[in-house]
Amino acid sequence: MAEHATHSHAGGDHSHIPSGIKLFRNMIILMVLLVVTWWASTIDFGNVTINNIIALIIATIKAGFVIWTFMGVVHATKLTRVWVATGFIGMVLIFGILGDYFTRQYEPVAGWEKGPNGGASALQREWPPSKPPQPGNNNFRPRG
Amino acid sequence: MAAIAHEGMEPEGQAYNPARHHEALHHQFEDIDQQNESYLVGMWTFLVTEVMFFGALFLIYTLYRSMYLKDWFLAHEALSIPMGMVNTFVLLFSSWTVAMAVRAAQLHDRKQVLMYLSITQLCAMAFMVIKAFEYTEKFNHHLIPGPGFGSHPEYLHGANPNFAQLYFGLYFTMTGVHGIHVLVGIIVIAYLMAKWIRNSPMVTKDYIPTEMVGLYWHFVDLVWIFLFPLMYLMPKP
Amino acid sequence: MSAIPAETSLRTGAKEVEEVNYLNAEQSLKSWLITGDHKRIAILYLISVSFFFFLGSIAAGLIRYELTSPAGFVLESETYNKVFSAHGIIMVFLFLIVAIPAVLGNFLLPLQVGARDLAFPRLNLLSWYLYMIGGTLIMGGIINGGVDSGWTFYVPYSSMYANSNVAIVLVGIFIAGFSSITTGINFIVTTHKMRAPGMTWFRLPLFVWAMYATSVVIILGTPVVAITLLCVALERMFHFPIFSPELGGDPVLFQHLFWFYSHPAVYIMILPAFGVQSELIANFARKRVFGYHFIAFSTLAIAGLGFLVWGHHMFISSQSMYQSVVFSLITFLVAVPSAIKIFNWTATLYKGNIRMQTPMIYALGFIGLFTIGGLTGLFLGSIGTNIHLTNTYFIVAHFHYVMVGGAVTAFLGGLHFWWPKMTGRMYPETIAKWNAALVFIGFNLTFFPQFIVGFMGMPRRYHYYYFAPEYQPYHIMSSLGASVLALSFIVPGWYLTQSLITGKRASANPWGAHGLEWETASPPPTSNFLQTPIVLDEVYDFDPVAEHEASRSARALEVPHYDAEGTNTKETHES
Repeated sequence: MAEHATHSHAGGDHSHIPSGIKLFRNMIILMVLLVVTWWASTIDFGNVTINNIIALIIATIKAGFVIWTFMGVVHATKLTRVWVATGFIGMVLIFGILGDYFTRQYEPVAGWEKGPNGGASALQREWPPSKPPQPGNNNFRPRG
Repeated sequence: MAAIAHEGMEPEGQAYNPARHHEALHHQFEDIDQQNESYLVGMWTFLVTEVMFFGALFLIYTLYRSMYLKDWFLAHEALSIPMGMVNTFVLLFSSWTVAMAVRAAQLHDRKQVLMYLSITQLCAMAFMVIKAFEYTEKFNHHLIPGPGFGSHPEYLHGANPNFAQLYFGLYFTMTGVHGIHVLVGIIVIAYLMAKWIRNSPMVTKDYIPTEMVGLYWHFVDLVWIFLFPLMYLMPKP
Repeated sequence: MSAIPAETSLRTGAKEVEEVNYLNAEQSLKSWLITGDHKRIAILYLISVSFFFFLGSIAAGLIRYELTSPAGFVLESETYNKVFSAHGIIMVFLFLIVAIPAVLGNFLLPLQVGARDLAFPRLNLLSWYLYMIGGTLIMGGIINGGVDSGWTFYVPYSSMYANSNVAIVLVGIFIAGFSSITTGINFIVTTHKMRAPGMTWFRLPLFVWAMYATSVVIILGTPVVAITLLCVALERMFHFPIFSPELGGDPVLFQHLFWFYSHPAVYIMILPAFGVQSELIANFARKRVFGYHFIAFSTLAIAGLGFLVWGHHMFISSQSMYQSVVFSLITFLVAVPSAIKIFNWTATLYKGNIRMQTPMIYALGFIGLFTIGGLTGLFLGSIGTNIHLTNTYFIVAHFHYVMVGGAVTAFLGGLHFWWPKMTGRMYPETIAKWNAALVFIGFNLTFFPQFIVGFMGMPRRYHYYYFAPEYQPYHIMSSLGASVLALSFIVPGWYLTQSLITGKRASANPWGAHGLEWETASPPPTSNFLQTPIVLDEVYDFDPVAEHEASRSARALEVPHYDAEGTNTKETHES
């Protein structure tokens, strides 16, 4: 009896039962996207950035399918969606760290743009570094 | 603990409410709806922490990859794309079976739940076995970071050994942390299956425990969805 | 707060009967160690946090003793490094981050929202065990030879040049971090889902708001530092290169990731203190807190902005100057919600019927000390001044004003305020009042000279200033203040412990305070409320006229009163 009552009660939004066909279709889409990812990585667009962006977009779409259908966010409460958004915003915040590295090359102070062997700065200020640090070239103590 | 004073009691003047007498109800909750919602919110909050946990690793990866594009491409050639593909396939498939298990749990179909969970478990183990093969190969090729790294330079495919070491350091950290999550998933799914086999009302009367394990497993899958193209499928610069 | 009165187990008039409450429901040690009761876990936390605070204070005492002489006369340089690192690690990771959320928050959050327990009691117990395991590992590493990298663990100090104890300590912090995360998840779910009927978001006590904001910071920030420190530990133990400069890794990246958590961690320490502060000010000014919504939202604003300012720790770490400028600007923005809070508290005091009892003295001290700490934070947030003051004692003084003057003061104030609720006993008021004043004096004597000596150029983390003997008077002043401060921390330890046995029994609501926690017995029964309360009104619904009358009659009773024989029968009725 309790069980029966729980059914009518248990959690308005969460108790939505997904259709098996939809779940299966979702899985097939994910598999196709997996092959597409691999195929896209083999194409030469002339610039790796394009490859990277395409790979990330496909991965994000795949993630979207998993979150939306498999994890049931499509039928979830607002609060759940807020948490999904929070996770996303958190990721964006961490990636704010890259802002430091990508803006260093624009520093206008004379001499700062030079690398470790010419400038006053011990670090590479250009981005991406044309001459990555080499052991022995800088003041690096070998690992003991 | 002392008896909870009002457990099993209705607030004065209210009719008997079966949601307050659910078999799977814990003492701190008023009724099963509140408990289920709390569990779901808790699980999603936990997944947010997991996102941040992996987020930091992905950030480190992004930064170094943009710094050492060429060397990392050369170093990544040591990875086997077919193995990575099979692993991705296995995980995506297990994600589907877990979703089906949750669906079966909602329908109170114990047999199907157990079937789908077993398939998930097999997939998880297959993933770990393939991963073990990959790790062994790296070990044999001296690609484990540390003092002996790159003592057989032919396996570095011409990459700068320092930057290659950086790459493999991150490769092992990221896939290792992910692998630990898979292991935890195997343990949790085994526990859940034991509950289902023993017909425990905790899972048979309430689908939320199965749903929570499902959410965790989907998250493990999500991480791999990003790890696979980033680690295995680097375009040639 | 008007609510349909929750039945309590305390029958007025039946003083001597021992009621069944959470403390005496079960007596065995085992019943404490496997308890799921949030109140018992709070007590476990209180004991362990006090213990770690004691250990951290010993390290602080050693530092202050060493610095009285310009040439350093008790500690070797390396030992000194280890001592200040131990002080920082213990105080930050084992005391400040944990103290208010895990002790007062654990105890009060379910009571204040009208729940029987936190949402996940077993997770809560796990959190305490993780904390203890983490604490044991950290202490093990420190005792086993110590860590000399400072509490910030900057690579390559901590990876290449440090001894292996650093790995043990890092793993300990990693585990302790998960204790924070589990507490944070518990608090968030409890606030969302366990509120009593009628307890809407804007009827919640501001302490709950503060706990909620803190938990959001915890769950977003802690995982980042956990994985970062794990990477350093892997680097130390297995030579996994992640931040190693000699292999092309970037140590500055470590600083970014570390401060991405550790700046918000500052708000994990101070936001709960704000929550305590709001409760104390409202209840001892006998007035509705001024600008409830502003305080609530400024709490969330601080939590949000806290994630956008980590770079102000790195102005001199070769960070891009563009990012430095942005971080500097956002740092100034944080001052806005903080100032909103300060102004709202002072506005609450205005025309309030202020009762100068111990918690209120701590609360008033908090306003002054936190204002100084916060304003000097603005000096440090502006790039130019920062470059002059970085790594001097000015910084040390600044964050001690916020952490000790803010968080510890609020912790002590809150502990006194809720002591009758937690233990069912009153603490001795007179000595506690004097001690509160002593904390204020000792604190200022310790840390104000550090502003001056820091501005003069004394670098932090140095114990040898032989060539600048003009710093010595300030250091001696500071060390003197530290002794006073130490005394003022020992005294409450003594009288609070004693009050457990000899203290006057507390009624359910000894302060006449408002809030659901005061509607149940002191100490509360295991299930908190015998019946789930139904909330009808917001929490700070003090009636100004009635409060005024009450305070006038209380004052009238304090006037010396002579009876027919001429004997002084002065009596104070404080509550």
